[in-house]
Amino acid sequence: MPRVKAMKRRDLLLAQAAGAVAGFGAREARAADRIQVGMLKPNIVTAIYWIAVKTNAFQKNGLDVVENPFPSGQTAAGIEQLMRGGIDFYLGASGEVAHADSRYIEAGKPPPIALIEGGIAGGSFCVMRDDLQGKTLDDLRGQNLRIGISNPSSYHLILLRALLRERGMTTDDLGWRFLTIGGPEMLPAMVSRQLDGFLHDALTATLALRARIGFIFMNSDRGDMGERAKLLPGTGVCANRAFVQEHPGVAKRFTQALRDASAAYAAAPRAEMVAIMSEWSRQDPAVIEDMYDRFDPRVGMTPQAAQTWWDILGGAMLARGEISAKLTINDVFDLRYVRQVP
Amino acid sequence: MNSIQDIESTNAGVPIEPANERTREDFARHVRSEDRRIRLRRLLRGGAGVLVILLAWQFMSQWLDLELLLPPPLTVLRNVIAMLSVSDRHWLYGPNIYVHLLHSFLRAMTGFGAAAIVAIPLGLVLGRIVTIREFVMPSIKGVYPIPGIAWIPLAILWFGLGDAAVVFVVFATTFFPMFFSTEAGARQINPTILDAGRCFGARGVTLFFRIVLPATVPYIITGLRISLGGAWRMIVAGEMLASQDGIGYVLMESRFQFKAVDLMTAMILVAIVGYATEKLIVDTIEKRTLEKWEVQPS
Repeated sequence: MPRVKAMKRRDLLLAQAAGAVAGFGAREARAADRIQVGMLKPNIVTAIYWIAVKTNAFQKNGLDVVENPFPSGQTAAGIEQLMRGGIDFYLGASGEVAHADSRYIEAGKPPPIALIEGGIAGGSFCVMRDDLQGKTLDDLRGQNLRIGISNPSSYHLILLRALLRERGMTTDDLGWRFLTIGGPEMLPAMVSRQLDGFLHDALTATLALRARIGFIFMNSDRGDMGERAKLLPGTGVCANRAFVQEHPGVAKRFTQALRDASAAYAAAPRAEMVAIMSEWSRQDPAVIEDMYDRFDPRVGMTPQAAQTWWDILGGAMLARGEISAKLTINDVFDLRYVRQVP
Repeated sequence: MNSIQDIESTNAGVPIEPANERTREDFARHVRSEDRRIRLRRLLRGGAGVLVILLAWQFMSQWLDLELLLPPPLTVLRNVIAMLSVSDRHWLYGPNIYVHLLHSFLRAMTGFGAAAIVAIPLGLVLGRIVTIREFVMPSIKGVYPIPGIAWIPLAILWFGLGDAAVVFVVFATTFFPMFFSTEAGARQINPTILDAGRCFGARGVTLFFRIVLPATVPYIITGLRISLGGAWRMIVAGEMLASQDGIGYVLMESRFQFKAVDLMTAMILVAIVGYATEKLIVDTIEKRTLEKWEVQPS
């Protein structure tokens, strides 16, 4: 697979040139630009959007955001809207961007969407029922476990596939059954023994721990899914390429607003952020408080993180035939609209 | 002028049978030819309709540059062949398509069969016994407007993620057309026919099997036909939400892979299997029952 270095050098130059012209972080006096932003809601991985709203980050960057929520698990719906131009930006998906772009590349057309920003932490969890404590992945191989996933192209499932690939295995070798089920339904399904575990985000994992129905079998941020997986962006921020090419200034201000929100998250008192994330995810503040140390909603995609994503997740998708061999990292990522901190 | 007697006497010595035979043959030949002409006309008109749709499809796909959203018919046809010949190099949907179709078929038939076992006898009973109808009908009519898809979350809650939930949803969808059709058929049997049956001494079970059931059969067949279509519609919806295999699962997975060509292929396969199932099951039942009781199709 092509390395990111060429892209990084070129993109940094472009970003610096564009930054000099447009002035990164400059507050524009003109009327706010209206943008259509889609996001998974309620969903903890898109909490940065709500933090940006609550800290007036969009307003400060001259943006008037129209919210387009998509139900959790319906990542494909958001991407479809993004491809049609119904929305300009979308928070939540990353694997689907590669799938969609790959179809265009296969047809000899330019990719319509791009990942322009991403989270700084993976936040991928595999929770298993309590009586499986102490078992390793090898121990559970061949057991007919029913594992919940939020959708067939789940980021968490791709990450597991990538881990298995490193070990020379596939999900078929594992012998588990992956059942599609909405995040909120995963816990009742585990309680009623319909599921033996699930692959999902920090919030669902926290809820399972609080309800004492499972334990964290694997956590990407802990390195359980490989050391490099720690770098993976759990939240994808993607854009319609035609829109961002036509309005690069708007795209830069949008990513800047999310970075401003990330800075606000780091600086704000914990209780304040707990309240904001609780409102967004429609969860009890006590749950968010419990989850706080397991989840980082901030964005800050770097070329290194993009390369890691491409190597691990892109590699897993390529190995399974989900994406074309012609697809390159530059077809999926376009980091020209984010400020790269040296 | 010849009298009638003269004509009769003249004809008396002439064998008239061959002439009549010729007339009958001519007439039969004419009928066959007319049948062929009508069939050919239908075929040509139907073919022309399909051709217009295919051309419009091709036009929209190619000239409006929608190939990725609406793959052209030839691409879809090639994909259908690739799926059926199990030669798709980028197969992402687990077992081959025949396994998916078989699982969907079994689920659909289990739900459909269970619904038929309950709906047809219940429809017959309620159609004939007013007292029971007055007790039961409001409840059934109350549940009827609930769309099949609305049962899915409850089905998952009751039966878990798996076949039982999908089968239940198919049952809930296919029950009503069969029930209402059977009930209507049983209710509106001409009383004169029943009286005639009674006059010949038919009572109870005999009356039911000799009069009520045969008179209701055309309605039951209609109910079965409508329900079978509903079964295939619902199996897809159910499998999209509560299954790990089946044609509905293939549809959902291909959506998440943004493979419109696989989506359309799966839809075409559902149409083919649905049509074949109807031919195999409903047409066979129709032929057997209508022939047995010599009833006119409704």
